[in-house]
Formats: sequence, C-alpha cells, structure tokens
Amino acid sequence: MGMTITEKIMASNSGRESVVPGQLVWADIHTVMTMDYLGKQTFRAFESLGAKQLFDKNRVICVSDHLVPPPTPEFATMLNEWRDVVHRYEIPHFYDLGRQGIAHQLMVEQGHVLPGRISIGTDSHANTYGAVGAVGNAVGVSDAAVAMATGKLWFRVPESVRFHVTGTWQPWVMAKDLSLHIMGMMHWNGHLIYKTLEFGGPAIEALGMAGRMTLCNMTVDLGAKNGIISPDAITQAYLSGRTEDVWSPLASDADAPYDAVYEVDVTNLGPMLSRPDKLDDTAPVEALAGTPFNKAFVGTCTNGRTEDFAIMASILRGRQVRRGVNLLCIPASTDVYLECLREGYVEALVAAGAAFETSSCGPCAGIHTGVAGDGDVILSAGNRNMKGRMGSRHAQIYLTSPAVVAASCITGVITDPRSDDWT
Amino acid sequence: MQSIIGKAWVAKGYVMSFDMILQRFWTAPVDPAENAKWVMAGVDEAFNREDGFKNMGYTFIVAGHNFAGGGKSIEHCITGLMGAGIQAVFATSFARLQFRNAINYGLPFITCKDMNLHCETGDELAYDPATGTIENRTRGTRFQSVPQAPFVAEVAAAGGLMNFIRQRISDGSVATLR
Ligand code: SF4
Repeated sequence: MGMTITEKIMASNSGRESVVPGQLVWADIHTVMTMDYLGKQTFRAFESLGAKQLFDKNRVICVSDHLVPPPTPEFATMLNEWRDVVHRYEIPHFYDLGRQGIAHQLMVEQGHVLPGRISIGTDSHANTYGAVGAVGNAVGVSDAAVAMATGKLWFRVPESVRFHVTGTWQPWVMAKDLSLHIMGMMHWNGHLIYKTLEFGGPAIEALGMAGRMTLCNMTVDLGAKNGIISPDAITQAYLSGRTEDVWSPLASDADAPYDAVYEVDVTNLGPMLSRPDKLDDTAPVEALAGTPFNKAFVGTCTNGRTEDFAIMASILRGRQVRRGVNLLCIPASTDVYLECLREGYVEALVAAGAAFETSSCGPCAGIHTGVAGDGDVILSAGNRNMKGRMGSRHAQIYLTSPAVVAASCITGVITDPRSDDWT
Repeated sequence: MQSIIGKAWVAKGYVMSFDMILQRFWTAPVDPAENAKWVMAGVDEAFNREDGFKNMGYTFIVAGHNFAGGGKSIEHCITGLMGAGIQAVFATSFARLQFRNAINYGLPFITCKDMNLHCETGDELAYDPATGTIENRTRGTRFQSVPQAPFVAEVAAAGGLMNFIRQRISDGSVATLR
C-alpha cells in the first residue's frame, strides 16, 4: 500500500520505512518558531526541562510580529523581556522591528522550512509551511519547549483527505476564494478535524507560492492538522537562493489511501466572502454586492504578500478609495514591503488613499494598529472573523480576497471585481 | 485508580477556544490560577466575571462536536480549565490544538458519543478512568467512552509532557524516543 506525502514525511523523519494513520511517532523537527508574546514563556519552559542547551540554535527561529510596534507600555516591556531572552541565547535568526514580518511569512520566505521536513510554531497558522511541501504544525508552548530541548516531538499520523483541483482560474479569482469555497463546502472545523489536507491537480500546479501559502494557511481554520502541496518546479524556483539545505522531491503514491477525495473545478469559481462571525457562512460576491462597510484591511499571514498588493494596485491605480472608507495595508514582511515599494504598488495604493503600516499582524488579532471599534463593518483579507477578533465584539468582519477589497474600496460597498461597477 | 465524582456543566452549543480565553488574556502567562479567573468568560454571559466559571464548582464539562475549536494554540484554555477545577471533559469530538494541549497537560479529554444528549448542567457524574465508564448518577444512565491511546495514559501518569521529558532528559533515555 502506498503512502501520502504527509505519511512519508512522518515516516522518514521518525526513522521508519512506513507509518499508518493513527500511529504515534516521535519525529525529528527541522525548525521551531516562537514569537513575541509567547516566546519568553517558551524559553522558560525549555529551561525547566533540564536540557543543557538548545538542540540547534540555528533552527530556533524567533520573531516579533504580534506586538510590534508596541501599542502599550505593558507590551513594550513584554517585548523588551523577549529581546533579552533571545539575546541571551544568541539566536542568529531573530526578526525584530526593522527586519520584522509575520512569523509564518518569514519561515517560508527566509528558507526556514524545507520540503519533506517538519517545522512547528507556537502560533496556529504554522500550517502555512505546507506550501513548500513541509509539514507545518501549530503547537503550544510545552511542545515547542520539548522540541527545542530534544529536536523531536510526538505526532499522531493523521488520516489524509485530498482536494483534486482542476479547471482554469478566472480573472480576479484568487486562492483565497478557493479557500473560502472549501470552507463553505466542508464547514468550519467540521469534517476535517485532525486530517491532513492535501491539495493537488492542475489548478494547484498553476498557483504561485503566494496562493499556495494562502491555501495551506487556512487549513487550520478548517480544523485540519496540516495542509500540504507537493513540491514542484515552482517550489524549486522559489526556494533556490532562500535555503542552502538540500531536499528531494516527494509526492503521494498513486495508491495512497485517502479518507476522502474531493474534486473541485475552479472554472466556475468566483470571488467569495464569509459573512461576519462565522467563517463557514460563505457566499459568492454576487449575493453580498451592495453591502456598505467603513473599514478595509489587507495584510496578515493569509493575504499580505506581494501578489496580493499587486492585484490591489492593478485595480486601484489611478482611482480613489471612496471617502468614508479607511483602507489599511500591511505587508506580511519587510521583504514583501520592499518588493511592493520597488514595483510601485505602495505608491499606487497610497496615491489612491490607502494607508500603509510597517509589517506586523496589525489588527488581525485585535491587538494593535487599527483595531475595530463598536459599529465598524470591516472588509478584511485576513483569516478569522469571529466576534471580537479584530477588537470590539460589536464590529462585523467580512472576509474576502484582496481583489474584492480593492474593487469595493472604490465604490464603498461590496463589489464584484469582475463587474464594471468600479471601472 | 479511583472514580472521579462531581457536577457537570453541559455546553449548549459549540464551544470555541476564543470564547474560553478572551483575547485580552492571550498574552497573559500560562498559569492555572491566573487563567482560571476568566476562563469560559466568552462562552456564557454568566461566566463573564472574575472566577465566574470557577465558582460554579464544576468537575466535568460535557460537550458536543469539536470542543475548543476555532484553531487557537494557546495552552491557557487547558490550564484555565484545570485551575477552575475541571478534571475531565467529555465530548463527541475535540479540536486538534486543544486536544493536543490537554494530552500534554494530562487533563483527560474523553471522546464519548451521545452522553451530551442525556445530561443537564448540574448532573452528578462519576468517571472511572480505569474502565472509561461514565455514570450519570442524577439520571441513572451509563456511558462507555472511547479508550485513550496508551501514550496518552503514559504522559498523564508522568504528570504531563513536561515531566515525561524531564525524567527522560535526566536519565538520558530521551534519545531513544521514536
Ligand atoms: S496575521 Fe493574524 S492569523 Fe496570522 S499570525 Fe498574525 S495574528 Fe495570527
């Protein structure tokens, strides 16, 4: 019997020929990521284990993303304590204010995750790493501490579910729309609890790394253990120059067992949204067109990449964000920011009336930089819209793609980027 | 091992990790006493006060599908429940991230079909960890839970993952874990 890509990774990283779903293994960890607000606690937990040193300080990746720049004296102090810990351990890969970004973007973009290996992070969207064919997994502080001490962690091998995606992507339709479509189809944290979600087929092969990251990123919101895409020529081109580590191609076997295989054809897929409070309460843009909103946000580990700002710039260049709408843009990392500057996207968007902020999670988790107030109706390209997510519990968040956000900002109401309402 | 006896709180709907620990406490230290003060504050308005859930004196939680879902990895959800006196949670299924944290902390997250349909808040339950049976003493019903994996019991017996690893680091056997 063949194995799926995730099973192969679980087997090869735990010194086994093969594994089966349900099996418990201790597997080698390639990299451990921790960040500002949990980082100090993670190191403290590590210290309490009695290990003499970190398993490999080059493979402990430290990031300031949720709290930078700090909005309150308490968070500023927390960041100072975090910096002290990172400096004490002489961590070479520390992405702090000035060189910062959202951890999950940095992990992939800076070559800290590798096809065929397992990387973990103390934040839920570590699933993003599946975009390059790695197993990316979110864990708690204890797990991260154990991996930092031992280089290993326990895993239960998950059952696999495959999405075979075919057809042709239509103009203005993005990976985010597929993500939200699957969310509506499978229900939020519904049937996919604990599974590994594998995306394949011609329409996935046609996606660039940004779209693949979006897709894998949101598998955690489907309740899955991880999301993964087999590495291919696009992966190879992306990783060359980002990592010196060697990796070999890998893919699921043709006779690998799946719990379920779903076929999705993107030819008929249009822009999608999630209505406020529930991620799986999705609707095609036609159903919500005309809905007014007052704030818009594009950024996050889901949709804060160069490609996302590129599509926005192509819509907003030479046009204006409607008065009464606040559009906030936050690049997912410093490198993304620089690229957007070089390509002229920042200029086009700022000229159109968008505000730009330095890389961070921004208001995604409701901590800083433009949080939601009572009565706000927000059109966001982020990943979560439950009550209170971006601040006030009396705000409403619609989730959608950067293309929908951009077109809607011109009109001030939810607008289909395929229509000529905004042109 | 003795049975655990106590009162249950029964979830009426889907319990999300975000509501178990509200956003303003995500950045707090992982500490059972601290985390217990506001645990479950977003789940039910009655718990939205200091020690609101803890003061109810529940020993068990009974829930339906995907308990603690929503995809938050913070351990505060588990330490909060433990600090509030919860000794086991029974549900038809659990969200992965908090299931994992519960295993690591040795808090029994026990999968059990149907019992949430036949239980009301305040019912007295007796849970026998050795056999996995749950007795609803108020209603005179019995349920058999899905057995836990041996590894889960081993971690619980060690007093959680941290102790499990601590012992193996100190006796040098950590290298043999596979
Ligand atoms: S951008 Fe949002 S979802 Fe992503 S890591 Fe930051 S807070 Fe979490």
